[in-house]
Order: sequence, then structure tokens, then C-alpha cells
Amino acid sequence: MNDMIKQVLDNRLHRPMNRRRFIQGAAGLTTLTVLGAGGAFADGKLGGPLNFFGYDGEQGPNVTKDFLAKNGIQLNAAFAGAADETLTRFKTGGRGSMDIMTMNKDFQRSIIDAKVELFQPLDLSRIPNAAGLFAGFKDANWLNRDGKMYGVPMIWGDEPCIWNPAKWNGVPDRYTDFADPKYKGEIVLLDDPFGNIWLFAKSVGVKDPSSLTKADLDKAVAAMMTIKPNVAAIGASLGDMADIMIRGDASMGLGGWAYQTIIAKQKGTTLVVGSPKIDDRFFWSDAYTIAIDAPNLDNAYAFIDFITAPESNAALATELGSGATVEKAYDLLTDDMKKLYDYSIVRQPGAGILSTQTVVPKQEASGDIVGAQAWVEAWQAFKVA
Amino acid sequence: MIEQRPRSSGRGGVALMLAPGSAFYLLFFGVPMLSLFVLSFWHAEGFDLIPTFSLENYGKIATSTLYQVILMRTIGVGLVTAAITVPLAFALSYLMRFVFERRAQIILQLLLISLFSGYLVRIYAWRTILGKQGLLNSTLGWLGLIDHPMDFLIFSKFAVIVTLVGLLLPLAVLPIYSAMSNISRDHLEIASDLGSRRFYLVRTILVPMAMPGITTSFAFTFLLAAGDFVTPNLVGGSQGIMIGNVIADQFRGTGANWPLGAALAFVTVCCVMLIVAAINRVVRWVSRW
Repeated sequence: MNDMIKQVLDNRLHRPMNRRRFIQGAAGLTTLTVLGAGGAFADGKLGGPLNFFGYDGEQGPNVTKDFLAKNGIQLNAAFAGAADETLTRFKTGGRGSMDIMTMNKDFQRSIIDAKVELFQPLDLSRIPNAAGLFAGFKDANWLNRDGKMYGVPMIWGDEPCIWNPAKWNGVPDRYTDFADPKYKGEIVLLDDPFGNIWLFAKSVGVKDPSSLTKADLDKAVAAMMTIKPNVAAIGASLGDMADIMIRGDASMGLGGWAYQTIIAKQKGTTLVVGSPKIDDRFFWSDAYTIAIDAPNLDNAYAFIDFITAPESNAALATELGSGATVEKAYDLLTDDMKKLYDYSIVRQPGAGILSTQTVVPKQEASGDIVGAQAWVEAWQAFKVA
Repeated sequence: MIEQRPRSSGRGGVALMLAPGSAFYLLFFGVPMLSLFVLSFWHAEGFDLIPTFSLENYGKIATSTLYQVILMRTIGVGLVTAAITVPLAFALSYLMRFVFERRAQIILQLLLISLFSGYLVRIYAWRTILGKQGLLNSTLGWLGLIDHPMDFLIFSKFAVIVTLVGLLLPLAVLPIYSAMSNISRDHLEIASDLGSRRFYLVRTILVPMAMPGITTSFAFTFLLAAGDFVTPNLVGGSQGIMIGNVIADQFRGTGANWPLGAALAFVTVCCVMLIVAAINRVVRWVSRW
């Protein structure tokens, strides 16, 4: 059965991609992933509500639709703008009503480090598909503590520069070089205080750009101000950023998304991806976790196991334009999707730079290190200037 | 025949009639606003909200140049938007009421149809018109009037104002047209017969009689423009950020500060209400002239 599914998936996903094919592929994946689930959870325990709180799209509405219907599970999805909203919700009456939460690696690491009550250690015997994760994710330091695993990653990626090759041959070595007047009116940034300040803090030589003193922050923002005259737009989302470049209103995106190149290709525009040689880029990964006191534990485990199956993971990664986290899912991706991310990072134990790099600052100030609120205010000052 | 006055249903009856509306208002406006007001005196510590009574957030707003600049910019954009939208709405209402009276309903429905499409769709439509390779730049280029696209058309304060005017015009027309519907054509004809020039006629008859609609229209457009954060986000670029964007930042993500966001929201509400009240007063004073 699985061989048949893979063969059909292979035929479907390895065709040249255009907008229609993409939609057909997603629809086909949805159907086939359900077939692939093949009653694995038909043990009579499933059914009823499953409460999801996390980033929009990571509940896999297309991927899980038939799985949920087949098992009589009603997914109640609510969305967070950022990972820490899960903690706010958990602490303000959400405990006991939240099942699955998704969060980014930096936030998950800070919760584990601070031993804050939010998510529970996972019983991996109930998520057999987690055995298929890339080696790097199995022992990743933001997911594991004291021999217990606290999250199952579903996607990962980076935020590189995206540009129009008709206008630019490449990118400079450092982000501060974008202050060159030749970029006037050509740059688009994402409305993301942490990503942007982190990149420029790194560019001005701060050793740990996620832990900034007031002086470091001022230095990073001063560097950002030098590129402000060249900034045409601040994208409301990664999709909006892609739209701005596709329409020709900007030609150089900083802190972008590799998938923007595929979105552009579908609309007949060529965009390419790369990063400054010296400053490089930052990486991220999101994971499913189960809340402490989750009321629908069976549904939660079944959901995570289903969506961690290679077919589901490939479909989810394709739908979200991100990297797959399951080794066998990689084989099911299109060539375009395979090329988007450097999978050697997640094949190595510890997940290399994903484990060593932190982007999101600590919420609270500590000693000389300023808290996240100061970053937000600095970003607002940059936008208002 | 003696005209019969409708029987008063008494105070109890009036209260009963007002009850559903009042309950709705209290539940969906009063309670959330009160919660937000209380929250504005709290304190954010890490991921926690600490219930306390502190003027810290209001103090921060009073002393921060960032918030003062953005508040002034927001009020400026709101006033300019209203100052452009209301005369346009007045002119359109005049045409519908006195020039194309027979086709007024069709024009009105065409205006309202634009409200049926989504708010975001309409903003993206303006992006398509104002973009570097948008309809306007392409047409001007094709006509040979410009060599390079005019950058200021998109991702600027100009783009925010133009988009807001486009979005709010149908809403601004409704109260003015409604007020003009009650003005008899006879008033204008008599004044005209007595030798009033057109401008004098508009200033002394039309504007005063449509004033309730004009002030409502102004309040609508000013309040909605000053409170918007989606339009500046999508067409304002790095120049058009407004207070709504700053408030939204305080309610989302790491680094969020809900109490500060609540205080900013209240300061904004107070400022715009004061401006609306002041403008109403000025209008009343001018009307008495």
C-alpha cells in the first residue's frame, strides 16, 4: 500500500510545478496521506475535540482534513501571532483546555531552560513516526532535556536575501553594505523586529546578536538607519513581501523566505536566493508540543503521529514552503522544494547551526542585556524615522 | 379634526425599548473598553501581566518622542483624509441629489457595491493602481508623460491617504446624501430667483442644511482613518506607519506589552474624540455667523 502511495506521489510531485499543478499536488497529497493513515488509529479511542493553538497553517488544514473526518476528531484551531502567546493563553485560563501547541525553537528552548510549566514530555512510543525525523532533530537541544523529548518538529528553514536577478548580480558581503545609494527604493524588509535587528547586530560585529546591551542595540539600529533611505517597503508578512517583489515595487528582500522564489516562479517572475557571505542568515524551526493537562491526549498523539508520517510531512512542508523534518519526506518533495534548503544541516547530529543559533531575545531584561520590549521599541523607532 | 398625539408608553416603556440596544452596547463596547482601560494601569513583567495601579504607561507615552511623533502623524493623516473625503462626498451627494436625481439610486448602489468586496481586496486594488509598475505609472509612461515611475505613489503617506480616501468615500457619502435628501429643491430655486450666486447659495443654504450629515461624515472618516492600521501596513511602506501599527505591535509577539498598548489605545481614543468635539464646536460656531 505504502509503495503504491509513494509511486503515485512521486509521479504527482515530480512534475514541473505551476500554480495549477501545485494545487492539484496538494489536493492529491491530502487524499493520499489519508489513505496512507490506513486505520492506524482506528482503535476506538479517538474522536471528539482536539484543541490547537499555534501558527496559522501549521495545523495542516488540507493535510489533516480527511484524517480528522475519518477519526471523528473536531479540530478547534486558534492562532498565535507569536510563540509566547501560547504561554499567555496557557496562564490566563487556557490550562486544561489546550492540547497541541506549536512554537519556534528559540521560544521552546527558553521555556525548557526556565523550567516554565507549559508543555509536557512526549511519550514517543505513541508517536512511532517520530523515529523517522532527521538525525539532527532527534537530539536537538531545543527539543530535549534530561533524556526526554518535548516537541516534534514539523518544518524548518532560514531567512535569506531574495532578489530580482534582472537588477542585481548578487548581494554584498554584509547587511550594512545595503546602505549603498544604488539600493535606493529597492529594499523590502519583513515587519519583524527580532530578525532585522539580529541581522544588523551581527553585521556590526556583536558577538551574540540575540543578547544585546543598550549600546549594542543602539549600534544595530544606527546601522539599520543607514539603509532606511533605501527601504521601499516593510512587508506585513513573508507572502506580502513576495507580492511586493513580484509587482516590481522592490527588488531586494532582506530576511526573506526561499519559498518566495517558487511563488514568484508561479507568477512568471524570477527571484533568486542567497545570503551575504560574511553575515550569512538565521535559521528557524517549529515544533508540535502537547500542553500540560491536555484534555484530549489520545487525539493529540494521534494527530502528531499522523502529521509526522513522511507523506504528511512532505505535504505540509510543500504547503508551507518550508523544509521537511522527516528523512523519508525529503524523497517525496519536488526538485524545486528539495533545492530550497540545505538539508546537510539537519542530517548532522545536533542539527548544526539550528542548535547553536538563537535569534529571539529574552523577554525580560537581565543585567546589562535589554529585553524584547526594548527591541520592539527600537524597531518602531526605525519604522517611524 | 383634533390631531391625536401618540400615547406615551411612560418611562418604563422607553427603558424597555432602549434595553436591547443598551445591553448590546454595554456588552460589546462598554465591557471590552472598560477591560482595556483597567489593563492600561497594569504592568507587564516577562510573560506575565501584573494587576496593579500604575501610571507608568501613561508617563511613558507623555515622555516618549516616538509616541508623540506617531500620534501627531496619525492625527495629521486622519485630518487630511477627512478634509479630502468630505468635500468629495459633498460634491458627489450634490450631483446625486440635484443634478442626476433620477439616477441617484443607481449611483448610490454603484458606490455601495465597492463595500461588498473585502477591505483587503480593495487595499490591494489600490496597490495595483499606485505601484511602480501599476496602472497609473504605466499609463503615464505609455502617454510619454514620465520617463521613470513616480516612486512617491506607493509606500508613502501619499499612498495611505489616497487609499483611505478611496476606501472611505462610500461611507462618507451616505450621511451627507441622507441630509441633502431633506433639502427641498424649492429653497435653492427661490434663492436663485432672488439673485443668489451658486457659491453663495451653497455656502448659505446647502452647507448649513446638510451640516448634520457633513459633521457625521467628517467624524466617520477621521475616526476610521486615524484608527486604521491595515492600510498603512500594506501601502505605507517605511514612511506611512501610524499609531494603530504601534498599538498592534504591543499586542503581538515576544516583546509585547499589553498594558502599554492599552494605554496607547486610550490616549489615541481621547485625542481623536477631543478633535472631533473641537471640530463640532467650531462648526456650530461658524454656523451661527
